[in-house]
Amino acid sequence: MRYLNGMALIAAAALATLSLGACAGQKPGNTAYHDPHPLPPDTLTLPAAEIGSYGGRFVFAATSGPRTFNKLLANEQPSNDIDNLLFVGLTEFDNETQQIFPELAKFWDVSPDQLTWTWHLRRGACFSDGHPITSADVLFMFELAYDPVLHPSLQDLLKSDGKPFQVTAPDSYTVVTKLAAPHPLMAAAVGSLRIMPRHVLEPLYRKGAFASAYGVDTRPDSLVTSGPFRLRQYVPGEKVVLERNPYWIGVDAKGQRLPYLDELVFLIVPDQNTAAIKFQAGEVDAIDNVKPEDYKTYIDGAGGGGYTLHDLGASLSTNFLWFNLNRVREGHGSRRAGEPAVDPTKYRWFANREFRRAVSMAIDRDAMIRGPFHGHGLKNWSAPTVGSKQWGSHGIVGFDYEPEGAKRILDSLGWKDRDGDGVREDDRGHPIRFVIKTNADNLLRVQMLDLIKDDLAKVGIACVPASVEFNTLTTNLRDDFQYDAILLGLGSAVPPDPGMYANFLTSKGIAHYWDIKQDHPATPAEAELDRLYAEVIASSDPAKRMEPWKRIVRTLNDECFVIWLPSQKIMVPVRNRFGNVHPTVIPQRVLWNIDRVFVKQSSTRA
Amino acid sequence: MRTFLIRRLLQTVPLLLGISALTFLLLRLAPGDFLATMAENPQISAATLDAMRHRFGLDQPWWVQYGLYLRNLFLRLDFGESFSRHQPVFTVLRQGMLNTLLLTGAAAIVTWGLAIPLGVWAAVRQHRATDRLLSLFAFVGLSVPEVLSGLLLLLMAARTGWFPVGGMRSLDWEELDAAHRVVDVLRHLVLPALVVGLIPLAGRMRQMRSSVLDVLRLDYVTTARAKGLDERTVVFKHAARNALNPLITLFGYTLGSLLSGSFVAEVIFSWPGLGRITVEAIQTQDQYLVMGSVLMASAMLILGNLVADVLLAAADPRIAHA
Repeated sequence: MRYLNGMALIAAAALATLSLGACAGQKPGNTAYHDPHPLPPDTLTLPAAEIGSYGGRFVFAATSGPRTFNKLLANEQPSNDIDNLLFVGLTEFDNETQQIFPELAKFWDVSPDQLTWTWHLRRGACFSDGHPITSADVLFMFELAYDPVLHPSLQDLLKSDGKPFQVTAPDSYTVVTKLAAPHPLMAAAVGSLRIMPRHVLEPLYRKGAFASAYGVDTRPDSLVTSGPFRLRQYVPGEKVVLERNPYWIGVDAKGQRLPYLDELVFLIVPDQNTAAIKFQAGEVDAIDNVKPEDYKTYIDGAGGGGYTLHDLGASLSTNFLWFNLNRVREGHGSRRAGEPAVDPTKYRWFANREFRRAVSMAIDRDAMIRGPFHGHGLKNWSAPTVGSKQWGSHGIVGFDYEPEGAKRILDSLGWKDRDGDGVREDDRGHPIRFVIKTNADNLLRVQMLDLIKDDLAKVGIACVPASVEFNTLTTNLRDDFQYDAILLGLGSAVPPDPGMYANFLTSKGIAHYWDIKQDHPATPAEAELDRLYAEVIASSDPAKRMEPWKRIVRTLNDECFVIWLPSQKIMVPVRNRFGNVHPTVIPQRVLWNIDRVFVKQSSTRA
Repeated sequence: MRTFLIRRLLQTVPLLLGISALTFLLLRLAPGDFLATMAENPQISAATLDAMRHRFGLDQPWWVQYGLYLRNLFLRLDFGESFSRHQPVFTVLRQGMLNTLLLTGAAAIVTWGLAIPLGVWAAVRQHRATDRLLSLFAFVGLSVPEVLSGLLLLLMAARTGWFPVGGMRSLDWEELDAAHRVVDVLRHLVLPALVVGLIPLAGRMRQMRSSVLDVLRLDYVTTARAKGLDERTVVFKHAARNALNPLITLFGYTLGSLLSGSFVAEVIFSWPGLGRITVEAIQTQDQYLVMGSVLMASAMLILGNLVADVLLAAADPRIAHA
């Protein structure tokens, strides 16, 4: 069979050629870039530790590709991560100081009654095609934001007292917004409205084609951006390549136009595992969603791998569990509207504040941090979490681990284990047994739930952990209320401000999970929460807002409507060959100052 | 032959209708919808959710949505729009399909390029060590799940640097000349194509082996040998060609799985194909995207089976008249 041997040889040779050929190398940094355009009169000087130099490429691993470049309609993180670098607003949130600063606006004035905000735009700011950014673009964006058909999700934020702002433009560089009531997050809200080019999009909008404009199939040269970057290329499922917007107003302390990088690549990988392999193989420069169980691998490899695992502190995302206190909405069959959604026996337990406190005291959060969090967790008693410099510093601690105290409470309620099976019965003889659900795709939560089951068993409460699909869970908690208790959490909001949590804190909200969308506050404590929340958002003076905010945190912890669980500590690996890398816990953790990141001179390599 | 073709083509219409109805129903029966994933976002209000639900038509009963979908599909060949991308479904799927075809095409070459010669070899060496070894190898390949072999190969690639760690192209692909571009894609193609191609290899190889064995027992082979032809000519020129006939049908089935046979490998190897788009669409309940993907994969499967039947009919005239 010489014939076959020959074929095998050819095949082997082909494989060898393929495996050794064209090895992808890093792009050298520090290419000479000469700014082709004069700087505008009003530049925006961005703070950075070092003055950088031009050139190079930064590769960021994204576990999902963008679905749209239409920033106004982007609702998920993969799109937002990219769109936020393409489009900027009048203001921006500084992840380092956690303060709002003027971006496309040069400054703004607020009238003494806090109802009229006047925005003065930077002169000479341009879109990536050289077209000036003026008040007409801002007016157009407000028109889109308030469009009843498009109904972008940020519309809620751009209202005060439920009413849209009155927006006018006295001249090309001034925009006036009039509010119906003071808005504590006004500066942030206006910043969340990213400016897109009216001269490109208005004709499409008038034709009713705005929703499909700037989709991911947009030709890069027709995607006109207002941010530090513009699109060079998008290959679906593979990568998004951004390059500098040559008209961007941002400069460094020496007056050199930013960004420094020639290219910012979002490499699309299917999951965190592949991202990790690619990072270790040197194909990726940074990841921002490492799993806590992998932290150790990165810590061990950091020395020889030429990267640093940055410890960013507590995540802004929360974990908590709550009991179902919802009422049946519409009666049908044997269920009447207004009766508890859960079995009345269980409702009696869940509605009892002492019981909820006992549950909170039964949970050993330190063990949880040592176990499922692999040591990388922090106790948290509020949302926004301790990750928020301003609002996480309330110093309030809820009912923490104290199993004897939990037993005492349950004993005093007369809920004792009378039949000796290890499970307490309530005063009417019903064994205290319920199901806690969580989303199966979140391994951390599934493991937390296992610990909670053991902890509760130790104080004589039987709980059955159930991990279900995320979508099933959302149906349960919003529509059919088919659950006893759920372990879930809230994602992060930017800025991390109590004013972003209306839906969670107030009794009307849809994220007021334990009893959503109430017509009237069901308990005095919830009426109190509504009142305190109104106080928190009535002022934009942080000093005045802190007191009611502390009382909100205290009330929530006192009532144990939600039982707070630890938040994950965030760590992100970034290669050392980049300067000005300064990851923060606030999204976008690594990329928030990417316009200032540069390739260090000494580390230039082919 | 023509009536046979027409009849088969007509049969695909109710089949596709059934598949689409079933898919749609299953999507609607699944809990939650596209907007459910917004549950952890504290900023979105109930009014906004309702407005979005209305914009996407998700507030309509399922039969109304399905009816509209069918109407657009038949009258305008419009597969609807992806919720998350605000783009026509076909536009979203097109590039993914081409990439998947490249991968499964390469995998088919691996399968058939190895199955035929190895099958012949095993048949010639029947019951000898080579035969046994090949069988063992084939069955190991068949038994190791795609996920495991894929991950192991990926790890190998990361450790040795011989092959890229997933993806379809290098980052600098655009800057390469045409020849290097091809080489670059081929380098990325090797591992996933091996993973996808090795699974059906065992079956095809055994089929080829037994087919060759059957033929080798026939009189004309004996005649050929008696004429004094050398063994190579006998095996390749006379036996193998006739032994290929039964495998033609199987080749048609390979065509059928071209769009749907590589989902797992695509996810493991970051291959930007139809599989990843579909998995993502299912996870986010982007329903028309799922529908489009399922329909295209089904159409391909039906077409593949049709081709298999046609090939068989062409090879064996008795079938066409049946």
